[in-house]
Amino acid sequence: MVLAALALAAVAAVPDLEVMVQPSTGRLAVQMAVGRALPDEWTQALAAGAPVSITYRLRLYRNRRLFWDLRLASHELVVKAQRDPLTGVFSLVSEMNGEILASGEVNSLEEAIFWVTHPPTAELALPIRHEPLWLFVRAEFLTRYKLLVIPTTVGTDWVQKAVPESP
Amino acid sequence: MSDWRRRWQRYRRQNRVLVGLYVGLLLLTAAGFALFNRLGGLPPEELTNRLLVFLLWWFDLTLIAIVLFIILRNLLRLALERRFGILGARFRTKLLLSYVVLSLAPTLVLFLLGVSLLSRAAASWFAAPVEGMVAASVQLAEGARQAAESRTARAAEVVARRLAEVGDERARVAELERLHALLGNHLTVLYRRGAPVVELVDPRQRSMLRLPPIEASSLRSSGLRGERFAGTVVVRGWQVLPDGAAVVVGEALPASMTAAQGRLVTAAAAYERLKLERPTITATAVLGFGGLALLVAFAAMWLGLYLSRRFTAPLLALAAAARRVAEGESLEEVPLPAEDEVGLLVDAFNAMARRLQGREAELEAAVRRLRTVLSAIRTGVLTLDAGRRTVLANPAAAALLGMPELVEAPQLLEVLAGSFPRLVETIRSSPSGFRGSLTLYPAGAARHVEVAVVALGSPEQPEGWVVALEDLTPLLRAQRQAAWSEAARRIAHQIKNPLTPIRLAAERIARQSERRSPELPAIVQQGCSAIVEHVQSMQEMVDAFARYAKFPPISRRPVRPGELVRQVTALYAGVRPDLRVETRDGGDDREELLDPEQLRQVLTNLIDNAVEASPPGGAVTVEVARDGDDVVFVVEDEGPGLPVEDPELLFQPFFSTKGRGSGVGLALVQRIVSDHGGTVRLEARQGRGVRAVVRIPGVQR
Repeated sequence: MVLAALALAAVAAVPDLEVMVQPSTGRLAVQMAVGRALPDEWTQALAAGAPVSITYRLRLYRNRRLFWDLRLASHELVVKAQRDPLTGVFSLVSEMNGEILASGEVNSLEEAIFWVTHPPTAELALPIRHEPLWLFVRAEFLTRYKLLVIPTTVGTDWVQKAVPESP
Repeated sequence: MSDWRRRWQRYRRQNRVLVGLYVGLLLLTAAGFALFNRLGGLPPEELTNRLLVFLLWWFDLTLIAIVLFIILRNLLRLALERRFGILGARFRTKLLLSYVVLSLAPTLVLFLLGVSLLSRAAASWFAAPVEGMVAASVQLAEGARQAAESRTARAAEVVARRLAEVGDERARVAELERLHALLGNHLTVLYRRGAPVVELVDPRQRSMLRLPPIEASSLRSSGLRGERFAGTVVVRGWQVLPDGAAVVVGEALPASMTAAQGRLVTAAAAYERLKLERPTITATAVLGFGGLALLVAFAAMWLGLYLSRRFTAPLLALAAAARRVAEGESLEEVPLPAEDEVGLLVDAFNAMARRLQGREAELEAAVRRLRTVLSAIRTGVLTLDAGRRTVLANPAAAALLGMPELVEAPQLLEVLAGSFPRLVETIRSSPSGFRGSLTLYPAGAARHVEVAVVALGSPEQPEGWVVALEDLTPLLRAQRQAAWSEAARRIAHQIKNPLTPIRLAAERIARQSERRSPELPAIVQQGCSAIVEHVQSMQEMVDAFARYAKFPPISRRPVRPGELVRQVTALYAGVRPDLRVETRDGGDDREELLDPEQLRQVLTNLIDNAVEASPPGGAVTVEVARDGDDVVFVVEDEGPGLPVEDPELLFQPFFSTKGRGSGVGLALVQRIVSDHGGTVRLEARQGRGVRAVVRIPGVQR
C-alpha cells in the first residue's frame, strides 16, 4: 500500500513539461522535455508513416506592477517527425519560428519519440530588463473536438518559469 | 441639399442600418484580430484546416446571431405590438411563429440527420477492414525490407566469416569475388580503415556504385541500413572482421515492387494523417452543414417575414383604414400597389371608398340642404337621440322656445324641463309618437303650439326622435278674427232674416193705424203674432249661440261605446212610424275613456239629421266598431245625399241648408270629436244617403 502510494507520488511528481532556463547575456537558453505520454493516435500515426509534430509555444512576458503582464515575444518551436515505412527511418526536423533548428534520422520509434519530446535547446533573445520576466511554455500535440465542433488543443498545461538574472 | 446628403439623412434615420453596420464592422474586426493572433506562424496545412474551421465557426456564429436577432427582434416587436394593441399584431405573431416552426423544425431535423449520416460515413471511412488493409500494406513494405535486411545481414556474416579464415590479401579478393557470385549479392564491398578497397557490383545494379560509402563510425560494429536510392530501396548490411576490415553486402529491392510499396505506404501515411485529422474533418463538415442549415433557416425565415409583411401590409392597411372609418374619420383610399388577389381586394376597397365618398358627399350636401331648410323654415324642429336625453334645435325652435343655445350643440333635455315641463313630459311620455297642441309660455307669453313627436325609424327601436313645433298663435289669431267676422256675418244674416218680417209687420200696423182702418185689430194681431214668432226664433238662435260658446271641456271616464250607442238609439224607437232605426255593434265591449254626455250629443245630432233626411220607409243605421285602438261610430241614412259639394262647409258654425235651425249641430259634433282627438267626416253613400263616420282614438287608462 505504501509502495503503491509512493509509486503514485513518483508518477505524479513527473511534470508534464519540464522546462529549464539558462540565461546568458542577452540570451535565454530554454531546454524542454515532455514528461507525459503522447496521445495514442499521435504515436500510431507516427508509426504508420504519417507526418506528426509537437508545437512548443514559448511566450516571454514582462511582469509589470499595477498593469497586466506585457507580452514581449512569442515563439514556436515545432518538432516534426515522419517515418518512412520502406526504409524504417524516422526523419526529424526542429523549426524555430519557421527556421530549421536541427534535423536528424533515427531508426526506432522510441528514439523518435525521445527526439520530439526532448527538442533541441531554444535560444531566445532577452530584452533589457527593468522588471521581472516570465516565460510561459506549453507543448501542443494535436487538436480534438468536443461535441464534434468545439476545438480543444491536446497538450500540456502552461508552465510558468521566472527568468533569472543573467550572470 | 444634395442627393447624397438626403440619402445619408434617410439612412441615418434608419437606425437599424447603422446598428447593423456597426455590429458587422465589430464582428469583422474581432474576427480579423482573432484570426491574426490565432493563425500566425502555422504551417500551411494546419493553417488551411484551422482557417477553414475558424471561418466556418465565424460563419455559423454570425448566422446564429442573425437568426436569433431576427427571431428575438420580431418576437419582442410583436409582443410590444400586442401589448399596445396595434392592429395586425396577432395575425403577424401567428405568421411569424408558423414560419419559425416551419423553417426551423425541418432544418433542425435535416441537420441532425445530416450530422448523423456524416458521422456514420466518417466512421465507415476508418472502419476495421480499411484499417487492416492499411496496416497490411505497411507490414508488406516493412516485411520486404526486413527480408532484404535479413538476407544482407546473413550474406555479410557468411562473407566475413570466410574472409576471416583467409589471410592472404589476393586470396581474400578472390574469395570475395567467389562469394559475391555464389551468394548473388547486388553489392559486395570490402572496407579497410573506413574506406572501400574492393567493390563488387551486380552488372544489373551498376547504379549502386554511386551509393555513398558508409561512414567509418558506423563500421566499428555490425549493422544494417535501408535507404532510398535511385528510385528504389537499398538495404546494406555489414560485418566487421577481426582485423578491423568490414564487409558490406547490399541488395536493391526491385524497382517495380518498391514503387508499388511506395504508393502503398504513401497512401497509408495519408490515411493515418487523415485519421489524425478526422475530428477536424468532421468538425468542418458539421460546421459547414450547420452553416448551410442555418443559411436555409435564415433564408426561409427572412423570406417568411418578407412575405408576411408583403401579404399583411395591404390587409393591415385595409384594416387600419376600416378602423379609422369606424373611429369616425372619413373613408379614404388605400394607396397600395398590388397586383395579386390582395390587389383586387385593395381595388375593391378603393372602389367602395370612392363610392362611399361620393355618397358621403351627397349626404353632406343633403345635410347642408336640410340644415338650410331647417334654418329657413318657420316650423321649429327639435331632434333628440334614441334615449331622448339630448336635444338639438333649429333656429325657429330655439327662437320659439327662447333658448338660442339649443342651436349650437346638443343639450340635455333637462334644460327644457324648467321652462316647458309639459312639452318635456309630452316628449318623454309618447311611446310611439304624439300629435297635438300645447300652450307654451316662453318668456311668460302664451304660445299655442302644434306638437308632433315622431320616431326616426321604427317606433319599437327608434334611431332618434324629431319634435315639430308649429306656432299656431298667429294663425289662431287670424282664424279667430276670421271666425268672428264669419260669425258676425252669419249672426247678422240670421238676425236680418227675422228683422225684415218684423219691420214689415210694424210698418203695416202703422199704415193701417193712420188710415184708421177697421181691420186694424186683426192686422195688429197678425203683426204681433209674426213679431213674437220671429223674436222667439231669434231667442232660440241666441240660445244656440250661447250653448256653442259655453261648451264645457270634455270629462273622460270609462264608457262602453256599444252600450252608449244602444242607449241613444233607444230614444229614437218609434220617432217616425215609417222609419227604422237600427243598431250594429261590432265592438268588443271594452271600456274607453270618453266623455259620454258629449258623445251622446254627437250621436243625437247625427241621428237627428239622418232621421230628418230619411224618406218614408227608410232606415237609419247606427254602428259602433273597433279599428285597432280606435273607436268608430257610423251613422247612415237613406236620404237624398249631401246638399253641398264640400262636406266641410256643413261643419262650419251657423251654416245651414235647411233654412231653419241655428246651424251649430254639426259644428258642435266636430268640436266634440276634435276635443277627443278624433275626426269626423261625411260621405255620400253608394246609391243614396249619407254616411257620417266618427273616429276617436283610444286613450290608455
